[in-house]
Amino acid sequence: MPIENPFQDPLRFERRVPECAVVIFGANGDLTKRKLIPALYRLAYDRRLSAGFAIVGISRTPMTDDAFREKMLEAVKQFSEDTTFDADVWSGFAKGLFYVAGDIADAALYRSIGEKLAQIEASQHTGGNVLFYLSTQPSQYAQAAQGLGAAGLGKGNGWRRLVVEKPFGHDLESARELSGRLHESFDESEVYRIDHYLGKETVQNILAFRFGNGIFEPLWNRRYVNNVQITGAESIGVEGRGAYYQEAGALDDMIQNHLLQVMATIAMEPSASFRANSVRDERSKLLRSIRPMTPDEVRRNTVPGQYGPARIGGQDVPGFRQEQGVDPQSQTNTYAAVTLFVDNWRWAGVPFYVRTGKRLAKRVTEIAIQFNPAPLHIFDQEGLDSAPNLLIVRIQPEEGISLKFLSKRPGSGMTLRPVSMDFNYGSSFGERSPSAYETLLLDAIIGDATLYTRQDMVEASWSVVEPIQNVWRETKSDFPNYESGTWGPAASDEMLARHGHAWRKP
Amino acid sequence: MSATVAPDKILKELAELWVDTAKQGQAEGGAGVLRACSMTLLVLAEESEDSQGLGETIAALMPEHPARAIVVRMSGPGERSLTERVYSQCWMPFGQRKQICCEQVEITVSDAALADLPSVVLPLAVPDLPLILWCRSPRLAAMPEFLPIAAMAQKVVLDSGPMKDPAAALKLMAALNARAVLLGDLSWTRLTRWREMLAQVFENQQNLAQLERIFEVKLERGEGFEVSALYMAAWLTDCLTDAGVPDVSFGVDPAPEGVSIRVQLAGDGFALELARREDRMVVTVNGVSQCTSLSQPTDYLLMREELGIVRRDPVFERALTGAAALALPSEGK
Repeated sequence: MPIENPFQDPLRFERRVPECAVVIFGANGDLTKRKLIPALYRLAYDRRLSAGFAIVGISRTPMTDDAFREKMLEAVKQFSEDTTFDADVWSGFAKGLFYVAGDIADAALYRSIGEKLAQIEASQHTGGNVLFYLSTQPSQYAQAAQGLGAAGLGKGNGWRRLVVEKPFGHDLESARELSGRLHESFDESEVYRIDHYLGKETVQNILAFRFGNGIFEPLWNRRYVNNVQITGAESIGVEGRGAYYQEAGALDDMIQNHLLQVMATIAMEPSASFRANSVRDERSKLLRSIRPMTPDEVRRNTVPGQYGPARIGGQDVPGFRQEQGVDPQSQTNTYAAVTLFVDNWRWAGVPFYVRTGKRLAKRVTEIAIQFNPAPLHIFDQEGLDSAPNLLIVRIQPEEGISLKFLSKRPGSGMTLRPVSMDFNYGSSFGERSPSAYETLLLDAIIGDATLYTRQDMVEASWSVVEPIQNVWRETKSDFPNYESGTWGPAASDEMLARHGHAWRKP
Repeated sequence: MSATVAPDKILKELAELWVDTAKQGQAEGGAGVLRACSMTLLVLAEESEDSQGLGETIAALMPEHPARAIVVRMSGPGERSLTERVYSQCWMPFGQRKQICCEQVEITVSDAALADLPSVVLPLAVPDLPLILWCRSPRLAAMPEFLPIAAMAQKVVLDSGPMKDPAAALKLMAALNARAVLLGDLSWTRLTRWREMLAQVFENQQNLAQLERIFEVKLERGEGFEVSALYMAAWLTDCLTDAGVPDVSFGVDPAPEGVSIRVQLAGDGFALELARREDRMVVTVNGVSQCTSLSQPTDYLLMREELGIVRRDPVFERALTGAAALALPSEGK
């Protein structure tokens, strides 16, 4: 039998997708309906999935396969934003949709899953390849993994992989404990911790930008970079998720995972190759190089915040404490700003300012790299220092890269003004970008873990965040400390001012 | 009618065009224009061709492959003439204020002035970026003036589909390939989705295990798909030989009306068929069908793929050699 498929043409074909079954725990949940199934349908629409592809939905609600298909059909129609619905494609896709009802704590569920997978392996020729996707409450992750392991489903005829959604624990100890329990049934190489930020086109483009071009690398260090600002701002509030958000907060929900991963991508050393472990080694090394803060440093270099009520665009919006399900005395941070330093030769002394928050002035996620000013001012013009060279990597809403520099104003005399050179990802390349979930699901099915978070990266992130958590937990903050619709607490501006810097207003 | 075109004048007009577009954008309260360019796209077409349709195809290509497009319209025999005009193609991405623009130059040239074309086009090519030649005119491809024009390009894209004689078309392709020109043939590009779906079937290990049982390949080809069918036959032969399945009988027959191509592979206990049904591809393996979307291969879709490949394409080159050998068995290697 030929070992390799002789018909492949990597220059022209999309990446190969092996046959497999995707088992989704939490199949009745929001993530499944809004993201996972629409992403998988889009992959089918784009001919990315193999003929024998199957999905098994798992949830407590009793349902037939047909009822599940009907539900997922509604989800695809409602949540596939930029995909035309095609009844024939759906019909082929739906044939591979199955459902198993049961309780995650019940061993009988795993026997039923095993039987269903055996049937699918025989009928769909999936070769025993299974991707388990945990889209459940985080408290059920370990139980589900152990249930699978105990039923012997962690191993099979083909490969077995486990995708886990964040949060990966709520501190260092719980992250280690979760990991230990996952590892009882799955090897680390089989565990795919998903961070959908890393699936975004621009975040991947950072790697192309940095390591595909020769001109930026010489500037990418403490000699030329003055400071780096990473912003993950949302203009909306908690939108009915107050009860959940109250337990997490901005620091845990955004900085510990998404923004530290983005920072690692911006600041990591070049990897020796673009292989998954090579890239992840460098990300992990960078995260481990972030200097953990002492309690005094936490007080100087971090700012928690919580939004208060305000009137935005002629409409009254509630403060966090007025949101449904939120304790009126809540100490939860809806804003977090931290100053981080990376202790390595490349970045020693360069502050990385990371901020995130809800109900900020606008929805924007971006990285701004501010370069040092010219060493000598030969132009007799005030204020040139206030227009530093900036390289801005925008992750959302308009993905792209901008470079800001000074240029002579046309006309007589030598007057300089800042101008911006923009590369807009969506418009320079007008093709539809795959959603982060399409990218990441495809990667997991193919077995490419480059954009997934490894346990040592999770632990390194918690090592950075935990000292901050500890101080914030012990300190009673005077919340609310910023008005909705602004750029956050004044203390955050003061934090940067102490270093002689100011936040950009994206 | 003018008989000369000054590249410097065209470049000046292009520069003025940008200034005007920027001023207009600012006057309308916009955020200015953004110029994008990743290549020079030289398009050679007959003047009789639908200029609006061609313009729309080029405009559709621009968002993904922003280019300085130089469209050369060939006016045919007659007195020697060479004229030009410049204009821009702009679009505003959804939800954004900034206008993205690409520049276009249109040159009209009579057959008698074709020899002057390289001296006009070369200075107009954007420096440091590849020049891709898309020749839509089978007539020009067969003319001696074509080779010096093709020699300017990093890649030449032709369409052997409309060429009347498939054997002559493949001979021309093979000759260009022998000149070490990067080559694309839209008759081959039309097969990509078919080949991909066929490859996808054999990603399944059970199907892959059936490969060595295949003893027969049947192809049906419609009008205009003669070269595509030869490419498909050559490619399948290469793949099966590589997989150690050499003794396979091949049949290429005319297809019923309305069918472009149909591919069938048969073996002991294994049958595979690929067929188009309107905008969908139906793949049937041992009686079980799967349906996926398959848009009609418009010029836009085909060129979009070809413009994305500015490097050697060994699979195509091998298929071209095989197809030429099938079409011209007497000429040997």
